Amino acid sequence: MIHAVALLLYAGAGLLWLHSLLRGGGRRSEVYAPWVVAVAVGVHAVALVRYSLAFQTVPLVGLSPSLSSLALVLGISLLAILAQGEAKRVGLLVVPLIIILEGAALMIGIRPTGAPLAFRGPWFALHVTLAFVAYAGLAIAFAAGAMYLVQFHELKTKRLGRVFQFVPPLGTLDRLGRGALAVGFPALSLALLLGWLWGVQFGQALGLKDPQVIWGLLTWLVFLAVLVGRRTVGGGGRRAALMVIVGFAVVVVSYVLLRVTLVAGGTFL
Amino acid sequence: MSLAILGVSHRTAPIEVRERFVFSRADALAALAMLRASGVAHEAVLLSTCNRTEVYADIEAGGEGRAVAERILADRAGPLPEAAKEYLYWLEGRDAVYQLFRVAAGLDSMVLGEAEIQGQVRESYEYAALAPVEPPFAGAVLSRLFQTALSIGGRVRSETELGRGSASVASVAVELARKIFGSLRGRRVLVLGAGDTAELAVEALAREGVQGIVVANRTRERAQALAERLGGSAIGFADLATALRDADITVSSTGAPHAVLTLDTVRRAFPLGPPRPLFIIDIAVPRDVEPDVGKERNVFLYNIDDLQQIVGDTLHRRGEAVPAAERIVAEGADEFWRWYSSLDVVPVIRSLRERGERVRQEELARTLQRLSHLGNEDRAAVEEMSRRLLNKLLHTPTVHLRRGAANGRSETLIEAAREMFGLDE
Repeated sequence: MIHAVALLLYAGAGLLWLHSLLRGGGRRSEVYAPWVVAVAVGVHAVALVRYSLAFQTVPLVGLSPSLSSLALVLGISLLAILAQGEAKRVGLLVVPLIIILEGAALMIGIRPTGAPLAFRGPWFALHVTLAFVAYAGLAIAFAAGAMYLVQFHELKTKRLGRVFQFVPPLGTLDRLGRGALAVGFPALSLALLLGWLWGVQFGQALGLKDPQVIWGLLTWLVFLAVLVGRRTVGGGGRRAALMVIVGFAVVVVSYVLLRVTLVAGGTFL
Repeated sequence: MSLAILGVSHRTAPIEVRERFVFSRADALAALAMLRASGVAHEAVLLSTCNRTEVYADIEAGGEGRAVAERILADRAGPLPEAAKEYLYWLEGRDAVYQLFRVAAGLDSMVLGEAEIQGQVRESYEYAALAPVEPPFAGAVLSRLFQTALSIGGRVRSETELGRGSASVASVAVELARKIFGSLRGRRVLVLGAGDTAELAVEALAREGVQGIVVANRTRERAQALAERLGGSAIGFADLATALRDADITVSSTGAPHAVLTLDTVRRAFPLGPPRPLFIIDIAVPRDVEPDVGKERNVFLYNIDDLQQIVGDTLHRRGEAVPAAERIVAEGADEFWRWYSSLDVVPVIRSLRERGERVRQEELARTLQRLSHLGNEDRAAVEEMSRRLLNKLLHTPTVHLRRGAANGRSETLIEAAREMFGLDE
């Protein structure tokens, strides 16, 4: 029930931004959107705390709790962007991503699933949290990149209508994308290292054919390719935006394929 | 009492007349002091911009206010032909309120919806309110009038399309630059040629914090002169490719009969294409920049037609927003006028309450003298009852006086109240 309230609040924030977009930006509705996101994140956090108390476990294991936690990390990341102010309208694209994650979690049912919890102390929690921070970073870089391409198109075709008024400046979106990748890449590197150490420590080291390892390494390579690509194309711009969008698509599609073809049961992967 | 405006604006007078009515800050204060010294106005504010000079005053209705204000403006303008009086307009009552609200909303501006007027209205008001005189030129009435006007102006801008977009070539250039780079602080600008429109655009960019302005011109002397005015440096056309490599924004307006910035020059500057956004504003006719330059990756090329198209679209959108803006202004003017009209009955209401209070005190003293056996608690209860009785009795006439005044019946009601309650006795 509380998760559903959070979901509705996220949807409300998205509608406020959409209303602002349809009216060309600068509307009063837009002022309320960050506050609605803040309330949604608060409600969402309460829901996950209640989950932890009810099931005596953290919501980092199992498919639906993990999706919901990833949605929360993305929501918190969005709040950090909103607090900074410059690129707050990127919320229009980030909020739907949160809704998809939280909506999927709700549809599956947010409860412990699959094999008994393999929770082994703070190392594991840190490993998962850092990985979620990295995926949230990639999602935000994707949203910034998508908006970059839209604004680029508006400026190139000289169609300076509502979309042009609403979408943040290219420079702002480029900085946001760069910052999100700069946070995400070290977070993912550390998460992978911790995951490997955790496996060795508890005798559960995973092979290279394990879906979790495949997906983790693939995401790490995507980060690396996008960051290196940004350097080689001269610091940013349209190509950098395209690369991050393609990279994000690769990560999402590979996750879906891995789940469909290789993974059974209720684990995240 | 009444509110009035005496003014001259772009709607009534050509520039050669308007410019004679322009007041400096110090002159405006002197004019307000003269107006007050003449005894015709209690409060006054003078708004003087390049498009209008307007004196707003709270004056004695039917007095010499108009004549005195005209004399003050005429003193400023110097000898004008008799026909010059036609340039001046005089508005009184709600019309005056409506006019100020329209002005503050940008509805009466030469460029519909311009934002600067809001700041100019605010400055004029604050100057009158904070002038070192006692009582201030802008007291309770004009303070409320101007604060409401500014608030209505803000509402019009936030709730309608009237203040949206850019309505001049220079402001469009700045808006586009902001949409490309975000903050313009520290961005580098290359200026080709020394045309007036380009200079205006660069000045507008400089106000946004661009730095490192480089001016290139066929004659180095002219480049040097413009560079000095803009606080930049000068180069010759031979160094164009190098300068282009360092620039974020290029503004071009040479008088050359052929393209000055060719695709070849851009490719020499960026063999792999510009690695970052490059904004090129070509204001020249014939065009200075080859159209193919705009097809390069990361290059945003806008010529004069593009910019004027944007200005035209903005003004069209603003024009469509006028009815909605006028509705907000009319609502605000009506509300203010209701409040202002109710001020006429304030002295009557005050007299009525004073008289009632006097009667209450007299009757209370007499009654309590007769009931000397009452304890303190009972005496307090009697006193409280007399107070409640008075309040209840005066409530209805007070409400009707205020409501009637708001509906323009203050004169009749004031007379009736004075007679019925014997307030003049």
